[in-house]
Formats: sequence, C-alpha cells, structure tokens
Amino acid sequence: MSQTLESPRIDEREAPQSDAPWVTIVWNDPVNLMTYVSWVFRSYFGYPREEAERLMLLVHTEGRAVVASGGREDMERHVEAMHDFGLWATLTKEDA
Amino acid sequence: MIPFAAGVAGITAKFTTAESLVLVDLAEQLVELLEERAPDVTGDVLYAQLGIGGSSAPPLDPALARLLPDAYRGDDDAASNHRRLTEQSLVERKVANARRVVADLSSRDVVLDPVSVQSWLRTLTDIRLALAARLQIETDGDTGLGDEDMLSVYDWLGYLQGTLVEVIE
Repeated sequence: MSQTLESPRIDEREAPQSDAPWVTIVWNDPVNLMTYVSWVFRSYFGYPREEAERLMLLVHTEGRAVVASGGREDMERHVEAMHDFGLWATLTKEDA
Repeated sequence: MIPFAAGVAGITAKFTTAESLVLVDLAEQLVELLEERAPDVTGDVLYAQLGIGGSSAPPLDPALARLLPDAYRGDDDAASNHRRLTEQSLVERKVANARRVVADLSSRDVVLDPVSVQSWLRTLTDIRLALAARLQIETDGDTGLGDEDMLSVYDWLGYLQGTLVEVIE
C-alpha cells in the first residue's frame, strides 16, 4: 500500500515499532455505498479525496485494501471505528 | 419524501408519515436485534460493570454477525478476546445511534445537527446491513431474495443514505 498519507493519525505508523507492524484491512461487501466508504476513509483517517477514492476502489475491485498500519492497539482502535461505521474490517500482522 | 439537503437550519429532509413510521420501526428493530447481545450478567461482575462483559463468541444470527464482525480473521483466540473486551461498547454505540434517529423522527421535518448526521449515517448503514443479511445479499451483484417490500425498503434506504453522503461532501 501507498505510504504517501497525510493524516496525523497515520503518521503513527512512522513511530518506531519493536514488533512487526500491524495493518487494518477493509473488506468488500455488497451493501456499503462507494460514496460512503470513500467518505469514511476521508473523515476518519483524514485521507485526501484522491487517496480515499483509490482505497475505496481497491476494496471494491480487489475485495480488500490495507487502510492503515502501525501498532496493534492503534489498529484495534481503527477496526472498532470501522465497525462503528458498518464497514467490515480486520487487523493482522503485516507479514501474516 | 424530500431527500436530504443542506438548508439554513442544517441538513434537512421531509418524510411522509408512512416513511417516517418505516424508519422508526426499522431503527427500533435494530435496537431489539442489538440488545440480544446484552451482557451476560451471570458472568464476570467486574467486567460487566466496566461494560466489557460481552460474549467471546460471534453471533449466530447472520445479521448480528455482520453488525458485530470479528476483528481478527483466522485467529479465533484473538477474535474472542477482542470481542469480549469491545463488543458491548460497540453495541451500546450502535443502539445510541439508532435511538437518536428515532428521536430525530419525532418530527416529519427532520433537521440534523452534526452529531445526528453521524448517527444517521451509521444507523442507515446498520439497518441496510441487517436487511441485506435477511435478503441474502452476500456478494456484489446479488439482487436479494425474498420479500419484495423488504427489497424496496432496502433500495430506498440506500437512496436515502446516498443523498445524505452527497450533502455532507
């Protein structure tokens, strides 16, 4: 996934990590509107419009996309937030 | 219905009585469904007091399972542990959102403040997820099986949510 992200939240990924980083994955589903998913990526992660659209399309066409990476606790928080929005998300170790 | 639009008073929509009743009914059904996951009071008292006395197993009902998905895939222990610690607060937030939608529908001229906008977006999504599970809409392109009225409502909710997303863009 692209590392060219601008959100302060996402910058946490650059903090030194003792373990392998974790990633938040959003999975495709047939229910959520493309406009809504894109809006979630912008409003929650702070992605610029183009990046949010790119990630949304990746979810739609590839079935999944990594939308954030970093420490495990942060990724658990992101996954919970995605579940709040009704998006289907999981976290996993990056190399898993 | 006059779909969501930005006005001087905030984000507004106007529903017919029938539409309003359908929305209230669906939001209340969502609350009932979510409350099936109420904490097990016979479990750990401390956890229950902290609001983290949730179940560690995913719901059997496919609609609930979609509303409250596992946070880990292929790691049942991590998924169970995470669910036990977080599911109750997720349920509570979803219920609070749905109740706010019901409260906003006390008038047919709905006016949403920024907090209500967030509740509506999430609750419309949650209702559509639950309906989709009932209609067996599982992959892109599925048009749904079963009750025609439920299918129409599902499509209408999608349209309604689309107008709300458009307005906040």
